[in-house]
Amino acid sequence: MKVWRLPAILALTLLACAASLLAGGSAIAPAVIMRALMHPHASGDVATIVWQLRMPRVAISAVVGGALAIGGALLQGMLRNPLVDPYLTGVSAGAAAAIALAVIAGVAAPLLPALGFVAGLGTAVLVAALARRGSGVDSNRLILAGISISALFSAVVTFALVRSISIDAAQAILAWLGGSMAGRGWGDLVFATPYLLAGIALAALAASPLDALRVGDVRARTVGVDVDRAQWLILASTSLLAAASVALAGMVGFVGLIVPHVARRIVGSSARLLLPACALCGAALCTFADAIARSIAAPSELPIGVLLAFIGVPAFLYLYLHQERVG
Amino acid sequence: MIALEQVTIGIGARPLVREIDAEIRAGEFVAVLGPNGVGKTTLLRAMCGIRPVISGHIALDGTPLRNLSPTARARAIAFVTSDDSMIETLRVRDVVAIGRFPHHPWWEWNANAQDDAAIEHALRAVHFEAEAERLFSTLSSGERQRVWIAMGLAQATPVLLLDEPTSHLDVRVAHEILALLRNLAREGRTIVCVLHDLNDAAAYADRLMLLGCERMLACDVADRVLAPELIERAYGIAVTRVETPQGPRVFAAVRA
Repeated sequence: MKVWRLPAILALTLLACAASLLAGGSAIAPAVIMRALMHPHASGDVATIVWQLRMPRVAISAVVGGALAIGGALLQGMLRNPLVDPYLTGVSAGAAAAIALAVIAGVAAPLLPALGFVAGLGTAVLVAALARRGSGVDSNRLILAGISISALFSAVVTFALVRSISIDAAQAILAWLGGSMAGRGWGDLVFATPYLLAGIALAALAASPLDALRVGDVRARTVGVDVDRAQWLILASTSLLAAASVALAGMVGFVGLIVPHVARRIVGSSARLLLPACALCGAALCTFADAIARSIAAPSELPIGVLLAFIGVPAFLYLYLHQERVG
Repeated sequence: MIALEQVTIGIGARPLVREIDAEIRAGEFVAVLGPNGVGKTTLLRAMCGIRPVISGHIALDGTPLRNLSPTARARAIAFVTSDDSMIETLRVRDVVAIGRFPHHPWWEWNANAQDDAAIEHALRAVHFEAEAERLFSTLSSGERQRVWIAMGLAQATPVLLLDEPTSHLDVRVAHEILALLRNLAREGRTIVCVLHDLNDAAAYADRLMLLGCERMLACDVADRVLAPELIERAYGIAVTRVETPQGPRVFAAVRA
């Protein structure tokens, strides 16, 4: 059992969170930040920066990274396809389309996360309905429905961008597409928490069947797995986690696809270790990336999705190709 | 005991084999024979409860299969199939361990001593204990076959259904596996096994269930089932029957 590796990943995650607390437009000494952390109810600029700006950012980026990575591991395991990510459920495309249209229609910005969540989840239900066969989910249909519906809604986003009358509207839409946690606070996290918890609870229920699904649907059935039920659990969990993430940070690509691969290399493919490892690795990666996104071109911010692709993709390719050569 | 009563099986609504009536007793080794596409695999899947029948009833020790929960079913019946569908980098032991799934509630995380013993026993039975730590993806198709059989054995069920367990195996390993199944039947396990080699079936099984022409043509001892006219009816090929000290054997009549 590689369970002892989990505390090591946890330490790494905490390190990323600490680095992210230090990063930002205004340079604050670590000791000052520590003092502010010890006194959450203190007043003053530093306390405000630490407790109202940086802490929610750190928490949100950790939660988003963890949720997307768990969703990716669930879906890759269920479909036995290493190339899928949680956005296959249509969540991100549906949310992006709704938000793009809402921005053009002039809907107030604070309403957008909730709107994105509802639209994302609604799209996931549509994709699931299209993928349904008998009492279960057909893997090929799910992939086909996910890709088709996502393509359709991506076209809606493009249409909205082309038709957007102001630069501000176009930039608001692009910020969602590139992934950003700018302006998010505790309130957003409180909104998303119940859905994240529900998604994690469903993932916990799916962990054991997911282990049996590694040897194929037929064999999983013969060892007593209710495969149909497991598939719906996984789809519901992934959709909730992805929708909550999209509501919090827009489209953060790459995490849901790549982190499960990295975590699998560290702890193996048993879901009981893989899912917690994904949560921690995803949290570490996103928090670290958000810290760089905030500080590299301060006071302006880079979209975290873009940054993740810039850093993560070459690192991942190196890791994979190097390991293959070594193997 | 497995009882099939007027069972019609098929793909969707299209029947493959109609109105099978058969009883397979505990401790019996039954070989299922028939041409490609006749419905042997479909019958096995129906017998382990993962595929519904079009009509009729299948019961295990008097309880209809459909009344059993998936877990109860998996504690009673194991099904060994050789189709590969996995991407994960699993070790041989991990694959065999999945056979222990029905013996655990979902929240139980770690394997207990009973699991370890069952996994060891299963690996020894297929002579693969030395390869337990190998990556499954590095195995040949014959070696994979042995791992799938070990997974079925680790499930520790009174009934074991096997779909072509000797495909991909060389002649020595194939006979070792068939002898193992024979021994398991002697110890009281019920074995139902799809085979293609009629003479292997005659050599190892107690009874042969012959499917063909959308019917169960026979379910009897080898002496009665290996009748040339019956074999020709099922497979559409003429055979010559030869009596040997081990019993009857059949050979396809080769046209020069």
